[in-house]
Amino acid sequence: MLLAADKLTLGFGTSEPLLRDATLALAPGGRLLVCGATGSGKTTLMMTLAGVIPQITPIARYEGRVALNGEDVATLLRDALFSRVGYVAQSAEDQLWDLSVEDIIAFPLENRATPRDEVRARVRYLMEDLELTELAGRRVLTLSGGERRMVVLAAALASRPELLVLDEPTTGLDPAARERLCRALEQAAEHVSGVVIAEQDPAHLAPVTQSLALIAEGTLSAVTPLAPALDDAALWTRAGLLPPRKPSGLRPAVTPGRELLRVRGLQTRLARASGKPVLDGLDLTLRAGEVLGVIGRNGAGKTTLMKSVLGLMPVAAGEIALDGQAAQGWTTARRARHIAYVPQSMRQILFHMTAAEEVAFARSMGEGHEDTETVLARYGLGGQGETNPFALSARQQGQLGLACAEASGAAIAIVDEPLLARDLAGRALLETFLGRMTSQGRAVMLISHDLELVDDVATRLALVGEGHIPYDGPVGEGWQSRAFAALGWPAPYGTARESAA
Amino acid sequence: MSRLHDLNFFVKLGTAFALMIVAWLAPDWRWGIPFAALVLALLWVTRVPKLGGYLKGAGLLTLMVIVSWMINLLLQGIAPLDALAIAAKMAARLVATTALFYFVMETSTPGAILAACSAARLPAVATLVLSLLFGIIPMLRDEFERIADAQRARGMEIDDVSFLKKLRFALARGVPLLVQAIRTAHAISFSLTLYGFDLSRKRTTWRDVGLMVEPRMTWKDPIR
Repeated sequence: MLLAADKLTLGFGTSEPLLRDATLALAPGGRLLVCGATGSGKTTLMMTLAGVIPQITPIARYEGRVALNGEDVATLLRDALFSRVGYVAQSAEDQLWDLSVEDIIAFPLENRATPRDEVRARVRYLMEDLELTELAGRRVLTLSGGERRMVVLAAALASRPELLVLDEPTTGLDPAARERLCRALEQAAEHVSGVVIAEQDPAHLAPVTQSLALIAEGTLSAVTPLAPALDDAALWTRAGLLPPRKPSGLRPAVTPGRELLRVRGLQTRLARASGKPVLDGLDLTLRAGEVLGVIGRNGAGKTTLMKSVLGLMPVAAGEIALDGQAAQGWTTARRARHIAYVPQSMRQILFHMTAAEEVAFARSMGEGHEDTETVLARYGLGGQGETNPFALSARQQGQLGLACAEASGAAIAIVDEPLLARDLAGRALLETFLGRMTSQGRAVMLISHDLELVDDVATRLALVGEGHIPYDGPVGEGWQSRAFAALGWPAPYGTARESAA
Repeated sequence: MSRLHDLNFFVKLGTAFALMIVAWLAPDWRWGIPFAALVLALLWVTRVPKLGGYLKGAGLLTLMVIVSWMINLLLQGIAPLDALAIAAKMAARLVATTALFYFVMETSTPGAILAACSAARLPAVATLVLSLLFGIIPMLRDEFERIADAQRARGMEIDDVSFLKKLRFALARGVPLLVQAIRTAHAISFSLTLYGFDLSRKRTTWRDVGLMVEPRMTWKDPIR
């Protein structure tokens, strides 16, 4: 066996281990997908299979054995182990620092004293293969989340590992980047003997994986063929996940209210290498009661749009009106009293000592009046009021973001790639948030690469591309529009969903 | 970005040391102040990033140096004009020194430093220390600014307020900055281990390193 895990029990010092008696085996050439809800133990299992636990990150309870080609990963020399295993962490930031794209990809080779010409050839090959040449010379910390992930993947492939372990690699990737990832994994088959991937949504990686194991309630299931499992909705629901081929539901129907945001002729100072502004003549409106799904390629300008509206990025021309008032001259702080911002990584915007203080601060900045504990409890954080926000898990920080956005009373919330919506419990929290916002005459701008999520919850679709919005209208029609077709992305839920719309 | 930014890190470092010695050998303020001004002008001409922020800090430093030296010298009974001349000389030295190393720090990415050290076949530990020493400050400064943006984005008015409030809000950035600093240290340590950094092994580099350090890979002559 290439990889064998035998009766793994893993825990962090609490009474119940996170994972009990997990056993799996991967033969050479195997491609295994491990799925489970947030917090189920996927990341811990991936770190253990890669040898990161216990070699780099020891944990309180580590029982059982993981063997790579028969050798115990816990006792192999680190350098020998990690030259045979490529690992992409769930949070790509955890393995990046302020180096350029080429530096990161070359790093494993340079550290192992690979000759310069060989390093250059390998870096070139990987950058071309993963279509990263446009990013040459960029510092990785200035890249988008999706771009960073592709760079880390290239670094993992650089030393031609025997085993590749990827923890939620499609997070933040647009559909085209996901296809590039799948292509890269197919091509890597020449050198990489086995691949283990943890994901919440199996559909994206189904073309490059053969078998499936599910984690639920601390137990890893037996490995089964993936293809038939995709149609077994009950299987996924039991694991706390959204079924990958769930039937279409009815889209929410709304009658939009008054105009909360109007953007006209927006042109940014930030320009592309060609000199063309990232946003050029962009028009957009948002009305009360709407959930506007904003989609577009990685780097299309979605984040620039959000930052321009918030006043975090200088604007060369155009008008921005909030609640009917011209807001171009407003400071970011004044705009933020009308717009609550929930980024993908909440760590970026937390700065108080307790979760309750974060919510109280949000309330004090706007017109909210609900008491802190009620809001926290609504978003699954009851009893966590005195917890330091940085001690919360990434999932809980996302929940805190929703709580703060609601507590602020801001008329608009911009939610950027809500990762918590990828399992059943998280999706329920997001739907609670969207329902409360829209029912109170507020509106949400939802920026996401998860087209199924946008299809499920958005009441209107805006597609950002070529510096403006080539499509703005009903969601169902959007998937069949010329602008969407130009992206070359598959429509969410396929044709069945389109006809249901 | 000036071509000077791509100079080999050790050339920049050596030049900075040499010019710093000149600044410290200046006999009095008549030489020291013009030399410091010349160094600042050099920073402006070479378009060193975020020069405005540096100048604010340098202004504060100058003020503090002059005030503290004036108090010290006046207490020793030196005439005010003589005391001012000495204080100005000391301030000029410090401004020139900090400006020179600001140039080195701002224009040398950790990647370029790693490359220069690797090409010089320095021991891995020296490579690591130099990269982190000159790389971590801009990284934390960028993080500080990003947190300020986050405060603004949550409705905190930190620009159009009194100095004391600005100071209080700046202090509020300390907690996330500390958390981020720890995370950065962890990420560096994690990536060093994962990617095979070994103190006993000399590294290679993908960059072409000579008087200049190749800043990026180009695709003029693609391999495939």
